[in-house]
Amino acid sequence: MSKKTAQRRPKPKRNELTRKTPPWGGIIFFTCIGLIAVAAIGYAAWQARPVDTAGIDGLVETENLSRNHTPAAVSYPTNPPMGGDHDSQWQNCDGRVYDQALRNENAVHSLEHGAVWITYRPGLPAGQLDQLRDTVEKTDYTMLSPVPNQDSPVTLTAWGKQLKLQDAGDQRVSDFLRAFVKGPQTPEPGAACTGGKATP
Amino acid sequence: MTEAESASAPTGPARPGRWAVAALLALVLVAAGAFTVPRLFNGDRPAPDGPEAGFARDMSAHHAQAVRMAFAVRDRSDDEKIRTLAYDIITTQQSQIGMMSAWLDGWRAPHADPAGPMRWMGGHGGHGAPGGTMPGMATREQLDELEHAQGRAAETLFLDLMITHHRGGVSMARAVLSRTGRPEVLRLARSMVEGQQSEIDLMTRMRAERNADRPGG
Repeated sequence: MSKKTAQRRPKPKRNELTRKTPPWGGIIFFTCIGLIAVAAIGYAAWQARPVDTAGIDGLVETENLSRNHTPAAVSYPTNPPMGGDHDSQWQNCDGRVYDQALRNENAVHSLEHGAVWITYRPGLPAGQLDQLRDTVEKTDYTMLSPVPNQDSPVTLTAWGKQLKLQDAGDQRVSDFLRAFVKGPQTPEPGAACTGGKATP
Repeated sequence: MTEAESASAPTGPARPGRWAVAALLALVLVAAGAFTVPRLFNGDRPAPDGPEAGFARDMSAHHAQAVRMAFAVRDRSDDEKIRTLAYDIITTQQSQIGMMSAWLDGWRAPHADPAGPMRWMGGHGGHGAPGGTMPGMATREQLDELEHAQGRAAETLFLDLMITHHRGGVSMARAVLSRTGRPEVLRLARSMVEGQQSEIDLMTRMRAERNADRPGG
């Protein structure tokens, strides 16, 4: 119908309905508004995202770990251990850096209290070690120590959770800490990271 | 095309006012979306990196150090007033850590921020430096000194450290009061401001009684 009208009137008065060229001004305008909307809503959604524990690539999990106290040495199936029977005394884990290897039986008790234990293989480049020290010192409920014969340069361990990394600068260090420091896996929520064993 | 639509179609050139109305509508929609979408994703919960969650995380670590210092002086002093004060700090602050932990669980917010403490206070008058430490925290050396002192020396050192610690705690609690409208956060933060301020007054008096022992603190 509009085509017919246009033929009858070769020089119609120019307005929004009769002009032939696309309304570029409007298209650009609303495209901009749309992009701003997508960016704003996307940013807001990203800000509000809940802690995601499933999205950590390479995460190893184990369940049904025993929790008895024992003064005896315990043989753990992984190195470093991810949980199991442990000493009655926990290793202090209030953002603590240890330069010597810890006794597994004390460290496992800290995992039970909700701590994340970061371990490294001796020989880790100094820059990477500094990065780990810095992270641990400013994060409560973490501790750092060397483990001489572990099979990866850097390992993060929480109760029943473990992640092996090649590099201390890996983004997953932060992801793991946000997910598991005092995280939902903690068998004894509210337990302390102070008042335990203060030396390796 | 219906008659109604034809009738409402413009007959003259587009008026610039239409664009303004369209732009305004679009902006309102954007604002509404930005306000609504986080709630769809996160319910009615504060953001994981917002001031409420940051306060809960940092104040938990701050309280944990106060509990540690209070235990230390209780183990090293026979003074009933000091031991009662320490008992009060241990039980109150440990229980408040529990409350803040439950908030974080309920908000599905992390209990740790590897980017460092006090980010929630940054950008508002420069109280918090990114990656800096929290106000009033004792250093590792000071804690070590306290845990190796005995009797009167431990008491005076404890009072000095805890007065500073409480002042920092009060400033953090005040900071969150101006950054949140959540009733549970307001209530606990107000109780911290009032409770710790009155303990600062008490400790200042106790410190004055011991002034002769350790002049200058």
